[in-house]
Amino acid sequence: MSGASMKQIKTRIRSVESTRQITKAMELVATSKLRKAKQRAEATRPYHEVLAKAISSLQAGAADAPTVYAAQREVKRTCYVVIAGDRGLAGGYNANLFRMVKSMTQGQDYCVLPVGKKSMEQFQRIGAEIVSAYFGVTGTVGVSDCAQMAKLLCDGFAEGKYDRVVVAYTRFQSMLSQVPVTEELLPLRLTEVKTNAGALVEGSAEALIAKIVPQYVSGILFAALCEASASEHGARRTAMNSANKNASEIIDTLVLHYNRARQAVITQEITEIVSGAEAL
Amino acid sequence: MSSFRLQIVTPDGSVFDGEAEALRLRTTEGYVSIRAHHADYIAALEIGTVSVTRSGETKNAACGGGFLSVSKGEVQLVATTFEYAENIDVARAENAKKRAEERLAAAQEAKDIEIATAKLSRALNRLSVAGK
Repeated sequence: MSGASMKQIKTRIRSVESTRQITKAMELVATSKLRKAKQRAEATRPYHEVLAKAISSLQAGAADAPTVYAAQREVKRTCYVVIAGDRGLAGGYNANLFRMVKSMTQGQDYCVLPVGKKSMEQFQRIGAEIVSAYFGVTGTVGVSDCAQMAKLLCDGFAEGKYDRVVVAYTRFQSMLSQVPVTEELLPLRLTEVKTNAGALVEGSAEALIAKIVPQYVSGILFAALCEASASEHGARRTAMNSANKNASEIIDTLVLHYNRARQAVITQEITEIVSGAEAL
Repeated sequence: MSSFRLQIVTPDGSVFDGEAEALRLRTTEGYVSIRAHHADYIAALEIGTVSVTRSGETKNAACGGGFLSVSKGEVQLVATTFEYAENIDVARAENAKKRAEERLAAAQEAKDIEIATAKLSRALNRLSVAGK
């Protein structure tokens, strides 16, 4: 009996070892991808800041030109842009985001612009209305896709298809902590009126706003996308790291069992030999 | 010549942050040149050439749209894409041009035509700035 169980344990050790090999490789890949994603997220930061500054000076410059993008309408319908990953095995990365969106959308009339395969699958499954299925894969979404997305969202907002646009993504706080957050894109919040209220505007203010607002939205979307991809790799790294640890732990206990079983077999054999010798 | 602070940013990072003497670019209404002590100003940009003059030396770049804001003598150019002539990948632009032309020929809907036209003009702009 012991011989059979020894073999079983050996097989299990081997199988856990190969699993650990995979999780280790995934952790390494996630670490290197995370480094790249973080660099990209940091590179976009000045763009984001200048954009935010410029839009506020634009708001001031064109204060007397009421814009459709800044109109606070009664919110009947909200469009959520949900940026999730393409793949699982990243701990609670996707699930946490979906849980937050679910609690926000409860009892609301809403539609979704999913970004990422998991996001796409999730909202198809629960039967939410999907604005566009074009951005189904996060890995390939670039600046020009963000511009298209922004145009789509701005047009939809201007046409009154929805009265609020919210982007939901996971913010990268640190290697260990990624938090799902939402940010309101439209309507624009006209907050402070800066001192340069008399800025010259090339062409008409409306035409200018019609051009700049989609760019602003696209900038925010791109920044969110960069953050989300850094978060995804961070979450995967953490998940794979703990999977590694678990695998090592399991292997340790299995090795212990194996040694015990081996010892039992030896002891039994010796007893048999000794009792055999005694019988002679 | 007196200079002003110029910041050029794109989604891929900051391209220029420093003093410049002149900036020439294409707005929706036509080409304008910005010098030091310009009045506060806002403009949307078209796909076109941007020339930055610094220490008497002018460099050309391909800009894929964006907008310009001058505030208290500081100039900020927010570009969707911005590449100096020497950094332009000519082979890629040629390819993009070819693909855009094919798409334009095959396009039926107004939306497709619009997208293909924009792609084509971006590629053509890159090629013309690169001087090929």
